[in-house]
Amino acid sequence: MRRSGLIAALATLAALAIVASAVARPASKAAASASCSTVSIGMLAPITGPASSIGADQLHWAQYYVTQWNKVKGHIKIKLVQGDTQLDPSKASTVAQSFASNKSIMGVIGPAGSDEVQAVAPILRKGGLAFASGSATRVSLTNGSQKGFFFRNVPNDGVQGPTATNYMFAKLGVKSGSSVMVVDDQESYSTGLADIVGQSLSGKGVKVDRESISQKATDFSSLIAKVSSSTKVVYLPFQLASQAQLFAQQLKAQGKTAVAFGSDGTFDAKSFTVNGSYISFFAPDVTTIPADAAIVRGFLKQFPGATSPFGAPNYVLAQMYANAITKSCKDHKITRTELRKNFAKVSLKSTILGTPIRFTSRGDLAGAKFHIFKIVNGKYTTVQ
Amino acid sequence: MNWNLFVTELVAGITHGSVYALIALGYSMVYGILKLLNFAHGDIYMVGAFIGYGLITVFGGPEQLSLNVALLLALMFICAMLGGGLVGVMIERFAYRRLRDAPRIAPLITALGVSFFLENGAQLVLGAQFHSYNSFSWKNNPIALNGFTLPAQARVSYAQVIVVIGTVVLMVALTLFVQRTQTGKAMRATSFDREAAAMMGIDVDRVIVVTFFIGSALAGAAGVFNGIAYQQVWPYMGFQAGLFAFTAAVVGGIGNLPGSVLGGLLIGLAEAFATGYISSTFQQAIVFAILIAVMLVRPSGLLGRAAVQKV
Repeated sequence: MRRSGLIAALATLAALAIVASAVARPASKAAASASCSTVSIGMLAPITGPASSIGADQLHWAQYYVTQWNKVKGHIKIKLVQGDTQLDPSKASTVAQSFASNKSIMGVIGPAGSDEVQAVAPILRKGGLAFASGSATRVSLTNGSQKGFFFRNVPNDGVQGPTATNYMFAKLGVKSGSSVMVVDDQESYSTGLADIVGQSLSGKGVKVDRESISQKATDFSSLIAKVSSSTKVVYLPFQLASQAQLFAQQLKAQGKTAVAFGSDGTFDAKSFTVNGSYISFFAPDVTTIPADAAIVRGFLKQFPGATSPFGAPNYVLAQMYANAITKSCKDHKITRTELRKNFAKVSLKSTILGTPIRFTSRGDLAGAKFHIFKIVNGKYTTVQ
Repeated sequence: MNWNLFVTELVAGITHGSVYALIALGYSMVYGILKLLNFAHGDIYMVGAFIGYGLITVFGGPEQLSLNVALLLALMFICAMLGGGLVGVMIERFAYRRLRDAPRIAPLITALGVSFFLENGAQLVLGAQFHSYNSFSWKNNPIALNGFTLPAQARVSYAQVIVVIGTVVLMVALTLFVQRTQTGKAMRATSFDREAAAMMGIDVDRVIVVTFFIGSALAGAAGVFNGIAYQQVWPYMGFQAGLFAFTAAVVGGIGNLPGSVLGGLLIGLAEAFATGYISSTFQQAIVFAILIAVMLVRPSGLLGRAAVQKV
């Protein structure tokens, strides 16, 4: 009996060793080179789920660049492999694992959210993959722990907070002694940004009423009751635009005069439409940049409908990958490591975002700035 | 004292508590008769909310409504109550009836399964995103934006008034139904002792079906109330609302209808005042701390009676 138990234990250990070695294979294969005839890039985006409008736009802009590239550069084709994260870190991890295991994938665009970036980072890093987000703005993502692997071509919240604070002072009548309510939605993106803005405002002598409400809440009336007549602004760094819309509507319904000011997470011209509200955003509206008119026309021809500023940074990321792939493929072969190193060095003098793009040594966007939009008659108008 | 804050929190608490109370009634009714915790009940509330949303869409969408608002509201409530009721009856027929005499854990697991089935089914058909009643923008008559001002300058929207008055009307109707009708009497008898009721000639199956229909219809109505007051509907909205309503039913004394209403209002008011006077961040912790304290003092709930065990 004891011997059979020992045999069973040894057999289990052997089976586990086989499974472990099979799981470990993708990492060891990461250094293997691949042909340059078709180079695959993974795209992690919330293609379905509550943030699907954002994810679809991000995917479409990357697809648009790849389509244009493949039309012109016949010798190196780029293939975009889609991975739907639904803006859910656990789902993002699962897809990232499949990307890391897929030896044809050389680099990754995405994921969209900061929580997702944190979830996929160990997996993609182990797989030796570069991954670049066009929308994750949490400051700590580029604290050095993912140096050389994670990149973003949008500014971080360390820029967003002061931009919003300065605008409130310059244009919205906030001054030392005024009141501002800062409400987070209890998600880490939101709490982090709310803390930055709260501290920034407090530092300037503003009375900050720091509040917090669940992302699933639909009744804000209890909180809005605390907005006093001296409150100039209610800052809403929410992850869902529909929540900001609801808050701003209920603010008006209670007859409050404070202005709603959303962060980049609330930027959605379909969902957040309350007139007179403001939003800070990490990318410009490319549809308003004259030099981009032809590209926007081409994009809308391929993907009819509307677009939002969430999409265009992903066009630029695809462009950066194409640039890095060209350099890596000089010897007609490409490895993940090679692409990663070349991607870190890409410097584009002009982009559809209206600014040059290159990364800092930590993977942040050099010279980044946030933009401010005001909602006028339901439309987003750039005011800064 | 800031009376504006106090009155506004009071109104917010009563409004939200009314929605919880309506859902809690269904929990309590089903528990009273079958001793079953119907965890799918919160999802029937979601179904009702989506039926209301569907009607708004059918009649042109929030900004282009082709129907008079009063008529639309009436239609939304009738359809949501009928739809919710029918879903409740179907759940009872296909998921619970065969397990009526099974160990209690079996229907409990089935209830959770039905809950996930409804949530995932709604996500599959309607998508995972939030949908909005957008009653702030309803053509000609924005019930959410218009209202009146109470003393202390506290504003009340017509949508809140509809929620509170609608809830009171439904509760009174339910009470009259249970107290004054033959079916209501049969329900009370079945709740007291199912076997004895059957021996006295009561069609217990029919009573259970009626109970599920009424409880689910109330949840459907609560879904529409939530939509017009708080706008947003989405496939997973039933989970948290169901949890709070279940808590309300337990705090009030599960199986006791006035207790469920009391529990719902207590939770709504605790939420509102915790946010207004203590901390929005720890709102739920504060609410549940209060409820734990209530349960410690009265384990059977505020209006519940301790069960007598025959030995």
